[in-house]
Amino acid sequence: MGDLAGLIAKRLGLGLVTLLVVSVLIFFAVELLPGDIAQAVLGQGATEETVAAMREQLGLDRPAPVRYFEWLAGAVTGDFGTSLVSGERVSSAIGTRFINTLFLAAYAAVIAVPISILLGIVVALLRNSLFDRVANVMTLTSISSPEFFLGYILILYLAVKTGMFPALANLRADMTFVELLHRTFLPALTLVLVVTAHMMRMTRAAIINLLASPYIEMARLKGTPPWKVIVRHALPNAWAPIINVVALNLAYLITGVVLVEVVFVYPGIGQLLVDAVAKRDFPIVQACCLIFAATFILLNLTADVGAILTNPRLRHPK
Amino acid sequence: MSNFVIGYYAALIAASCLAAYYQNRKVFMLLFSLTLVSFVLGIIGGVPALRGVTIFAGLLALAAGTSYAFREFLIQISKPGIAKELRTAPLTASFGMFVIFTYAIAGIFAPWIAPYGESEVIAQTFAPPDENLLLGADQLGRDIFSRIIYGARNSVGLALVATLLAFIMGALGGLLAAVKGGWFDQLMGRVADVIMSVPSLIFALLMLSIFGTSLIVIVIVVAVIYSPRVFRLTRAVAGNIVVMDYIEAAKLRGEGDWYLIRKEILPNSTAPLVAEFGLEFCFVFLLIAGLSFLGLGIQPPTADWGSMVRENATLISFGDITPLIPAAAIALLTVAVNFVVDWMLFRSSGLKEQ
Repeated sequence: MGDLAGLIAKRLGLGLVTLLVVSVLIFFAVELLPGDIAQAVLGQGATEETVAAMREQLGLDRPAPVRYFEWLAGAVTGDFGTSLVSGERVSSAIGTRFINTLFLAAYAAVIAVPISILLGIVVALLRNSLFDRVANVMTLTSISSPEFFLGYILILYLAVKTGMFPALANLRADMTFVELLHRTFLPALTLVLVVTAHMMRMTRAAIINLLASPYIEMARLKGTPPWKVIVRHALPNAWAPIINVVALNLAYLITGVVLVEVVFVYPGIGQLLVDAVAKRDFPIVQACCLIFAATFILLNLTADVGAILTNPRLRHPK
Repeated sequence: MSNFVIGYYAALIAASCLAAYYQNRKVFMLLFSLTLVSFVLGIIGGVPALRGVTIFAGLLALAAGTSYAFREFLIQISKPGIAKELRTAPLTASFGMFVIFTYAIAGIFAPWIAPYGESEVIAQTFAPPDENLLLGADQLGRDIFSRIIYGARNSVGLALVATLLAFIMGALGGLLAAVKGGWFDQLMGRVADVIMSVPSLIFALLMLSIFGTSLIVIVIVVAVIYSPRVFRLTRAVAGNIVVMDYIEAAKLRGEGDWYLIRKEILPNSTAPLVAEFGLEFCFVFLLIAGLSFLGLGIQPPTADWGSMVRENATLISFGDITPLIPAAAIALLTVAVNFVVDWMLFRSSGLKEQ
């Protein structure tokens, strides 16, 4: 088993290096600004003195690598500096919003994962039937639609016309958990629709791939009943691809969440990021990008580690 | 019981009997199960539900008929070799081609089709539709219909340019990496890894916050974000070709890298690359639409589908579907391209799932 631990450690190390490279990218991208941050924020009309004062305040006179390491050290301990626009601590602006975003993503995942895996398996078993064709067209449509299209359709039919759910997902501190679930149902449902379609298609492809392997054929030929072929022979081998599919789609949720938060005016970090981009509030943009990228890399890492753990062939490379 | 309901069930049952008489099992099962489902639907939803089913079936039949006719049309006008290929196209693929064709016409001839200019103020704010304004006016009093037509030119055009750039960068990188190998290959591979390890929308937002939202910046940023996908595919496809004997022979003849790429590798890898171009276009189109929707893509007063949805979103709270039409236009084009790509992938890989 020491072999296995080494393999996973190697993969984790690679993930850490990727994260470091990405943090360098995020930090030095801002250095590419024509002029510097102070000039970009204050604009053309600013006097020399105000620009100099802001440079002083941001510590821009020191070399970029030094500031990078300070920024990184701060980021590791959860301190991302202060906002250029409001002067608020970035960490306090992000704090609860990050939890809200995680809650929305988790809500969507809890609904989407079981449904899509089950449907994906059913569709794979009934492949080329009418049901499969209809499911194929429907999932393709769902993938091809922009998230805001699905979101507004849900608002129109489930909120405006029938009034079953609230159209805007603004939160209050004193809400009960059930109220919270009810209020955030539409944004979660939008994410579920997109992610389910992706996951169903990937699960279907993985299972069909699996059912074509020789040992399944062997099991069929020796007269094993169909349900036993699935449960005993196919399923144990299907875990690796399914774990992979789940982790990859959770990573996909990260991008989808930005647009959905804007549609439903949900107080998450996606909305914070979009606002900060419009206002060119760089410390917040950098912090949000780093958080999104780190989550994305972490989930991809989970997919790889899951694949290593469940597939003996990867554990013993030739 | 209204005449509509009687007619509805009579038509369904008659059609099921006909299907049964001609021993068409699939059609019979479909029609008769629809009849049974309709009983339940009729009890729960009443006549409106049955009307909904009728309208839906009618639309589906219309789409299928159009696709069938369009495929026949294409077969008639194309050369025998291509016509033979087209005969194998499923209805979904010819539907996709029909939609792409319509969008192309709308985009190219926009100034002649649209009744008004794209930023011409001609009515009051949110004026309701009448015979002059097909879909009403937007938040500044511009004709929504004209703006949707112009959007076909602006949104799709921009996405096409960005896709082309991404494709040229990615494919060229991939081919060079495959031919040269060694450190160049390694370097390109690592760069692609880093770009792909940041979610695309987040990366685009970061870059746009720094360089601003001009059209050139959007095209370059989007192209850089999506070129690694093309790079990886091209690298993989070309990597399989580079080890072939005829490449070895060409190398021994003393041909240069550029000759190898142009004359030996590209002709043998067109099929997967064309399919990838379609897929790539969908991703790019959706990303740019998303950016425009966030107000960070194509800037006003240029007509663009993503920003139109954002500008008119308030209408939705009054139960008006007009703001959804540009969003539906985005979805329809992406679905259409996906249908065509599906067919091309199926054909080029010869993959037939049992």
